Amino acid sequence: MSKDSTRRFTNINGIDRRDFLVRGSGLISAALLAACDSRGPKSAQRLLNYAERKNLVVERKLFRHTSMDVVRKGAHEAGNKLPSYFIAPTVPVWDESVMGKWVLDVGGLVGNPVRLSLSDLQRLPQVSNRVNHYCVEGWTAVETWTGVPFTELARLVRADPGARYVDFQSFDDDYHESWDIESAMHKQTVVAYGLDGKMLEPAHGAPARVYSPVKLGYKNTKYLTKIVFMPEMNGGYWSDQGYEWYGGV
Amino acid sequence: MGDPNPPTAAQTATQPRTRLSTRKRHHWIVRVTHWVNVVAIIVMVGSGLRIFNAYPAFARKGEIFCCYPFEHKPIPAWLTFGGWLGGARHWHFAMMWVLVVNGLIYLTFVYLHGEWRDLVPRKGDIRDSWQMFKFYTFRRKDHPHQGKHNALQKGTYFALPIAGAFAVLTGIAIWKPVQLSWLTAMFGGYVWARYWHFIIMLVIVILSVIHVFMVFAVDPYSITSMITGNYDPSLSPEARNARPFYHLLPRRTRAPAAPPPTEAT
Repeated sequence: MSKDSTRRFTNINGIDRRDFLVRGSGLISAALLAACDSRGPKSAQRLLNYAERKNLVVERKLFRHTSMDVVRKGAHEAGNKLPSYFIAPTVPVWDESVMGKWVLDVGGLVGNPVRLSLSDLQRLPQVSNRVNHYCVEGWTAVETWTGVPFTELARLVRADPGARYVDFQSFDDDYHESWDIESAMHKQTVVAYGLDGKMLEPAHGAPARVYSPVKLGYKNTKYLTKIVFMPEMNGGYWSDQGYEWYGGV
Repeated sequence: MGDPNPPTAAQTATQPRTRLSTRKRHHWIVRVTHWVNVVAIIVMVGSGLRIFNAYPAFARKGEIFCCYPFEHKPIPAWLTFGGWLGGARHWHFAMMWVLVVNGLIYLTFVYLHGEWRDLVPRKGDIRDSWQMFKFYTFRRKDHPHQGKHNALQKGTYFALPIAGAFAVLTGIAIWKPVQLSWLTAMFGGYVWARYWHFIIMLVIVILSVIHVFMVFAVDPYSITSMITGNYDPSLSPEARNARPFYHLLPRRTRAPAAPPPTEAT
């Protein structure tokens, strides 16, 4: 009788419990092992691309020119703890003896393309923004960026209403990132030549870089040479390697 | 033996299996959303940990974070999913919609169909939880009255959607710390929101691991009920007086000695 009672509990659908546990846990661990640290099934790629396109629509709808980045009370400046990175093998430095005088080309779909030297930039209206830096990796850093508001540049060159995108290009190899015009025209977006009250150093993008808290770090091109207003987006260094093109926060 | 009618495991076991008293326990919406949730949570946790590993710390640059003892120690790679930061982000930002929509479907169903009555806490749940705890630790002999869920389960199943909502909100807060800065500020700013997002993930993982353990250890029949929807109440943990893994141990000889239930009136 006692044997009978054990059978009664063990027999579900002809598989006994031990079988079920062994097979079940085997299946689950096999599936987990197959999935772990992998990029996931290849077939999912199309779905992921679809989700990214939909997220782009949602994120652009969420964007408000009035939403400002605010630094928390008591937050410390990162100072020399601000990580520095570039894609070239060594720190890109603009060498005037080889490359001539540095100028920033602002053109594309504009009425009045200009070439600005560093001193030209410094003569344009200047702002200093104490803001967060949001890295795609998850860290943040507080810094004060000094430069020309992007809106001033757009006004100076008389940007065409058809210019829905902007490409920021650099002399750090072929690094560039293109932006939606809304993010570029955000009040806190600057073409910065100063960091924490000093002139920008080569480690952080000298002579000038774009900086905005509304975009993740990788969208903020350093070592600027060219700003191009465009009717279409133009990808970017990291965007082309699979990071989100929008990269907005 | 003073009690003339003790509800022992042997009693239910010796009943002839003439009527298969299975009942519909889980509506198909509950079953589908449950398994979708399993996939969504595994992918969200795995990809989230891969994202975390890109900067496995909470401190703002140039600061020290008070409340995480493992700053800069990455999560073991085998627990992560997505392969690389960009890939994990794509999985995370795609699966978040599945998690949210699935969760809303479940909660709407539970609300409209009345199942919330089995889940909302009531007076006495703390006492009942304590009784369950005593039973599991062999300080109480018989299984407390169960109903659909025991008090510990009820608490867990009630807490999980709340934890899920908290995970979603802290997640949105670190996704859009500028555009939705008011939300991020509610959680104490980006650094803290990211920390709470991590902590609530831990809570969900711990509750889920206990849940899966208890399913296998106490009530394996509930797996069938979460697939087909059918559940045989005569096999419930209460009817079997089941403690974790207790049903896998050899039966005590005491059990067959109990009087046959047909004679008990």
